[in-house]
Amino acid sequence: MGIKDLLRKIFLVDLLKGLRLTFSYQRPSATYTEQYPLVRPPVAERYRGAPRLNNNPETGETLCIACNLCALACPETLIVVGWERTKDRKKKLTTFTYDLSRCMFCGLCEDACPVDALELTQDFEIAHYSRQGMIWDREMLEQGPRPTRYTR
Amino acid sequence: MPDTTYLDASELVINMGPQHPATHGVLRVKLKLDGEKVLGSEAIIGYLHRGVEKIAENRSYAQFVPYVDRMDYVAAVTNGMGYVEAVEKLLGVEVPPRAQYTRMILAELQRIASHLLWLGTHALDLGAMTPVFYTFREREEILKILENYCGARLTTHAFRIGGLQYDLYDGFEKEVLKFCDYVGPKIDEYETLLTTNRIWLRRTKGVGVLSGEEAIALGVTGPVLRGSGVRWDIRKVQPYEAYDKVDFIVPIGEHGDTYDRYLVRIQEMRQAVRIIRQCVERLAPGPIMGKVGKIIKPPVAEVYHSIEAPKGELGYFVVSDGSTHPYRVRVRPPSFVNLQALDLMIRGHLVADVVAVIGTLDIVLGEVDR
Amino acid sequence: MVQNAFQFLQAHPLILATIKIVIVLLVLAGIVAYLVYMERKVLAFIQARLGPMRVGPWGLLQPVADGIKLLLKEDIIPAGADRWVFLLAPVISVVAAFTVFAAIPFAGNFFITDLNIGILFILAVSSLGIYGIILGGWSSNSHYPLLGALRSSAQLVSYEVAAGMAVVGVLLISNSLSMVEIVQNQQKMGIWNVFLQPVAFVIYVIATLAETNRNPFDLPEAESELTAGFHTEYSGFRFALYFLAEYTNMVLVSCIAVTLFLGGWLRPFPNVRALDFLRYMPTVALTGAAAFILWLGLKSRVAAERYVFAGLGALCVLLAGVVAIPPVLDAIQGIFWFFVKVLAFLYAFMWYRGTFPRYRYDQLMNVGWRVMIPLALANVILTAILRYCLSGRHPASLTAWVG
Repeated sequence: MGIKDLLRKIFLVDLLKGLRLTFSYQRPSATYTEQYPLVRPPVAERYRGAPRLNNNPETGETLCIACNLCALACPETLIVVGWERTKDRKKKLTTFTYDLSRCMFCGLCEDACPVDALELTQDFEIAHYSRQGMIWDREMLEQGPRPTRYTR
Repeated sequence: MPDTTYLDASELVINMGPQHPATHGVLRVKLKLDGEKVLGSEAIIGYLHRGVEKIAENRSYAQFVPYVDRMDYVAAVTNGMGYVEAVEKLLGVEVPPRAQYTRMILAELQRIASHLLWLGTHALDLGAMTPVFYTFREREEILKILENYCGARLTTHAFRIGGLQYDLYDGFEKEVLKFCDYVGPKIDEYETLLTTNRIWLRRTKGVGVLSGEEAIALGVTGPVLRGSGVRWDIRKVQPYEAYDKVDFIVPIGEHGDTYDRYLVRIQEMRQAVRIIRQCVERLAPGPIMGKVGKIIKPPVAEVYHSIEAPKGELGYFVVSDGSTHPYRVRVRPPSFVNLQALDLMIRGHLVADVVAVIGTLDIVLGEVDR
Repeated sequence: MVQNAFQFLQAHPLILATIKIVIVLLVLAGIVAYLVYMERKVLAFIQARLGPMRVGPWGLLQPVADGIKLLLKEDIIPAGADRWVFLLAPVISVVAAFTVFAAIPFAGNFFITDLNIGILFILAVSSLGIYGIILGGWSSNSHYPLLGALRSSAQLVSYEVAAGMAVVGVLLISNSLSMVEIVQNQQKMGIWNVFLQPVAFVIYVIATLAETNRNPFDLPEAESELTAGFHTEYSGFRFALYFLAEYTNMVLVSCIAVTLFLGGWLRPFPNVRALDFLRYMPTVALTGAAAFILWLGLKSRVAAERYVFAGLGALCVLLAGVVAIPPVLDAIQGIFWFFVKVLAFLYAFMWYRGTFPRYRYDQLMNVGWRVMIPLALANVILTAILRYCLSGRHPASLTAWVG
């Protein structure tokens, strides 16, 4: 061991270097805490959160054409699409059930939809007090994300 | 003769139970001790078995991709990469270069993220409680990039069979390069705190030694193998994607102890940054999806494809019987094989070192049990 | 009226002593409670996060919440445990830790008693706390706490030797065992003992880190080890007592280190007239604290927090004004500097906890017996030789040469 290494060992240089680093971290600008729920984190545009059935913004009618591709694409088969044939032999959506308790938010249903009717939004606060509340029907899906207010 | 075996007080069997703050998951280890020294051990796994391989038999090839992320939940992108490449090999699909470079960028980012988590938890097991917060902050930056790209932080489902679903978002290259510049000095900070610290050296040098021959005999791969001095990295030996077109070195250790594995993983993080920079330079506009039909029906064949996951060699053996569902998917998890080295590595050490050695093997129980 | 009160107290010394004891106990209990809060905050800032923020403004009521929680927990005594010893063990630790404060001088004019064998008393009584650990582990009737207690007590005993030897170095310079006289000696020499005995100071710091089971020597109570320590079977208020004893030990050890090495209640450079303006530090410090509290409080979004902080800030300003009155300023000098130094020492304890990994048990004992004790012994021998040579009695002394 050279003389420099010996001096480093005696004067605890390696320990002091570590101490200097941790001391420098006490400046307020280094704090990396998000105070949730006072401040909600900004999520990405492509974030795969709670599902939503989109409506046509002008007419208010649903964009879904009841093609059933989302139900076929889902690995967990948790989407149930109900339709009926109108007088001119077109499909019209009646019921749409989505079981959130089994969903793994993989996005395959969103990818499969040809008309961008089914979309996974940025809502991540989807906890509910009962199992029944996790099965969303068409009305809840069309409502879209409803962020909960936690503070005044 | 009365049964006097229980009077043999020199050997004690202690259970390091499934619920333990330091076993990185639900791992049960039965230790046979002589006083404080470990004579032998037995690892009992299966507490997290979810039947992933059985699920694969009942899903189509594309439907199975999200399930693969859940095995090594710490590094989901590389899991997906392995499976998707195995199926592409089965189909004979060529992935366009833009998709290849993007996959490499995301896989190397995931490697850095996995090693950061390993570093934080390993230091925490050995008593240093600050690096874990710093490494998780850096990991947060990577997860933000992943979230911006594919919409989820942990269970990413980033790749599709044949290429990518999403093209790069605006500002992807800028954010990735900004991250590369940001993480270099941070890795230096971790080294300041740990690499020359005398307490860290005392705790990790000479602990959990695994020689090169023993490592090859047991089949361990990844940083554990490289820490023991064997130069074997699947990215160099059997290159996949475009790894043969980028420049990087493979760090190897000398003594095969915990300290060498620590140094190997730190170097791998730095090399991963190097790879990412090169891939970002080579990104060129182009298609992101290869020629794959809507319904994936591979011919009757079987293929084994392995990649260099952050934890070691992750292999997928896919058997197809010509239908839309695979007949069998067998996963070769790196953590499962590496765990077999635990017994050999802790013989003769003290109980306090068992925690260090489990940490240095970098096991994720999701992968071990599937 | 005040004269009568003073005369009454002079005539009945027991009453004055009782008042002092009560003051010291109450202040100490408060300090230890908020020491836990300070540790959480310091560790949090080192780790780039914020620490307790929700209970009260900036988490200031966290110790109250913790205390209430521990009091309300179920009182579990393991079956087969030695009941009376189980109940007595934490009490022994706490009593040993608190009793030592009787011999510590907080200021030139404020101490409960000045024993002429101060240091001996302190070292002896603080060692009694080890009984609390051993008895706690033994009476739990379970082999994990017993092993943890044995390891912990072996560690404490080993590092007591090193700490004692380091203290002997100071005694050689100070000619006396009395704590007050050690500080007065430092005032006479005009220099703190740490500059004359740096090696002893470093050894003392490391030894007391091991004494109080703090990082990097806290293996016996680490969570990631198999033996979870001697206080595994304790819950609720008894666990709180052990916790209290540990933090009181921390404060105790810091007070001793400050008295022996860092000049006790003396201000820096006590004999240098040019630095006399440092007398006004208490006022400056209180004003600074008031400004900081007001700045913190005014940033808050919640109205109640703003009022609380404005009130606290006003209180600090008032205190600063009261302290600026010359008689009060003179009286408060000693306590102020002592408090600042002890706080710095305690902060260093928390700083080490946030930075270093921990030693394995055999490495810990290795460091204690093979590095600390020989080094402390060498320090004592060297100090003794130097003192003899520099005392002028020996013809080959330096003063004889210099003339």
